[in-house]
Amino acid sequence: MKVLLVEDNERVTQFVVKGLQEAGHTADHAANGRDGMFLAASEPYDVIVMDRMLPGDIDGLAIIEALRKSGKRTPILILSALSDVDERIRGLRAGGDDYLTKPFAFGELLARLDALTRRAQGESAQTKLEVADLRVDLLTRKVTRGSRSLTLQPREFKLLEYLMRHADQVVTRTMLLENVWDYHFDPQTNVVDVHISKLRQKIDADFERPLLRTVRNAGYTLTSHDR
Amino acid sequence: MKFLRSSALTLAVGYIGLGLAALALFAAPLWYAWRVTIQEGRNEILQSDALRLTEVFRREGAQGLISYVNTRVGMQIAGERLLLVADAALNPLAGNLTAWPASVPANPGTYIVKVELDSRRTDVRRVTDVALVHAILPGGYHLIVGRDTERYLPLERRFWYALAGAVAILSVLGTFGGILIRRALMARIHGIGQTISAIIQGDLSQRLPTHHSGDELNTLSRTINGMLDQIEQLIDGIRNVSNSIAHDLRTPLAELRSRLEVLALTKPAAEHTFAEIDAAVADVDGVIRIFNALLRLAEIDTGLRRSGFVPVDLAAIAAAAVEFYQPAAELRGTALSLEIRGPAPIRGDPVLLAQALGNLIDNALKYTPGDGTITVAVRRAGDSSVEIVVADSGPGIPDAEKSKAVERFYRGDASRCTPGVGLGLSLVDAVARLHGSELILEDNHPGLRARMVMTQDTRQITRVARATSEEGELQHEPVYP
Repeated sequence: MKVLLVEDNERVTQFVVKGLQEAGHTADHAANGRDGMFLAASEPYDVIVMDRMLPGDIDGLAIIEALRKSGKRTPILILSALSDVDERIRGLRAGGDDYLTKPFAFGELLARLDALTRRAQGESAQTKLEVADLRVDLLTRKVTRGSRSLTLQPREFKLLEYLMRHADQVVTRTMLLENVWDYHFDPQTNVVDVHISKLRQKIDADFERPLLRTVRNAGYTLTSHDR
Repeated sequence: MKFLRSSALTLAVGYIGLGLAALALFAAPLWYAWRVTIQEGRNEILQSDALRLTEVFRREGAQGLISYVNTRVGMQIAGERLLLVADAALNPLAGNLTAWPASVPANPGTYIVKVELDSRRTDVRRVTDVALVHAILPGGYHLIVGRDTERYLPLERRFWYALAGAVAILSVLGTFGGILIRRALMARIHGIGQTISAIIQGDLSQRLPTHHSGDELNTLSRTINGMLDQIEQLIDGIRNVSNSIAHDLRTPLAELRSRLEVLALTKPAAEHTFAEIDAAVADVDGVIRIFNALLRLAEIDTGLRRSGFVPVDLAAIAAAAVEFYQPAAELRGTALSLEIRGPAPIRGDPVLLAQALGNLIDNALKYTPGDGTITVAVRRAGDSSVEIVVADSGPGIPDAEKSKAVERFYRGDASRCTPGVGLGLSLVDAVARLHGSELILEDNHPGLRARMVMTQDTRQITRVARATSEEGELQHEPVYP
């Protein structure tokens, strides 16, 4: 994954670039709006991480709007300290694909970038999802593991569908809250964990190989690979 | 001049001007009536005089009339009257006119014509308007009985004098009244100004003087007082919150600091160090969480989010929230149930309403013992409101603490040993207030009943009904019992 980071804060830059490199990605960096604009327009990136308030006369939203106007469709994640709902809406309206507020956990950023690049590859047309011997048919809404058919509640189905669509990626609790329940707030308690453990009971409990795993300090992943 | 710029003066001058205009309009018909009365009275007198002279002529003949007129003129009992008797050829026979006036029409009648008169006093001949009765007597004799209209001028002048008097009285009274009104008004405005100055200086406890009358200034004063109450409350709130933030953030930050310091001092094995770093990250997350909650509260308090109100179904939001928390309740062995009857449409912010309901359920879960019950109910209360109730069988909140429970960072004695920062109910209350309601905490015997009453969106009811009948069943809608 080739990432462009447009960010003026040195510590954040260091932290993100190092993290991305450790995760096996390449990252370019621009410290002001002008450079960011130039790189984003001229180089092919898989995803762009854009700060909103940048030194110089071009701010993040202006860059995004200019890119979208010129027909660039690279997925963009806006990274900003502006956390009001109205600000989020402005960011997404300008053409951003996702919005993460500072301070943030690196795991959250990485998971969201993974999700964005995966979405850009256009995987949503699928009607059947498969991870190892776990199969989900989105049309008939049937879930099977091996030869056994599993019965899931509607919300459990939605949760599993989201995890399957992001198989082999880390999915954070916030991502689950936003995408499965459409809750854009922090519910304070570990309710998501309870939902995950219920789902785990159904899809993993009676089988030798667990698929739904907890990733410490980050979230969950549904994967068939042993790490 | 300051006085000239006074709004009270402008008002007084305006009223005087209006009064004068009204007086002028009023005087016009009066003047007309006055003139008509004078004319008619004058003509009547002249006609009856002419009649009397005709009577003399009829009784005593032409000579009799001539001598009668001569006597009257000679005795000067004619007064200001003009008398003239002439023969058929219009040769004057008797009277106080020297010649027959050419301007008198040939036919008998009552006229106003220009006649040349000789003034007895000054011997100057002058032309003047004369009102006269011209009668033709038997035998071709002509008779004129007239009166100089100038004699009536004093009468007309009296009318104008009276009008001028009225104008003068009105002006004086108006000016005087204007000054009085201005003084009264200025006294009150000055009082208001002084109070406001004191408030600007920083004494927010000052209030504008009000009394029981419902005049405009008083109403305005009361409104301003209401605004001041709100400002004072907000400032107090900010002051309390700043204090609480400082206090509540110090604890986790101190913990974090000591954790890192111990790490730096003891330099334990790598494995232990990493565990401590994880714990430190969790500490920081806790602080961030408090900040996020505070930012959210600030966002709600400014009322900005009201612009994002959309039609929402509270029943659906409650159903989703109960479904969301159900596994957590099951894990604890608590019975979490939902009571809804049909859609409960209101206008609101779906994210905030969901968060508020979530906080209430979360709170109930935290304090209700394992085998307890929690009921979430959304029902119509009256024709135009919707009631949301979250009731639990936990320990409840003592009456004395109920009002404090919604304050920021307040944590009751019972909650000392549970996780949380004391912002949950504050947020619920803020959301309720944003939606024109408030959070009411009641006794559930045993337990706590948290209640909010919101205004129903009646426009939406018809829309939902239409959508339901058109589509058969709405997707993602809960199934209502």
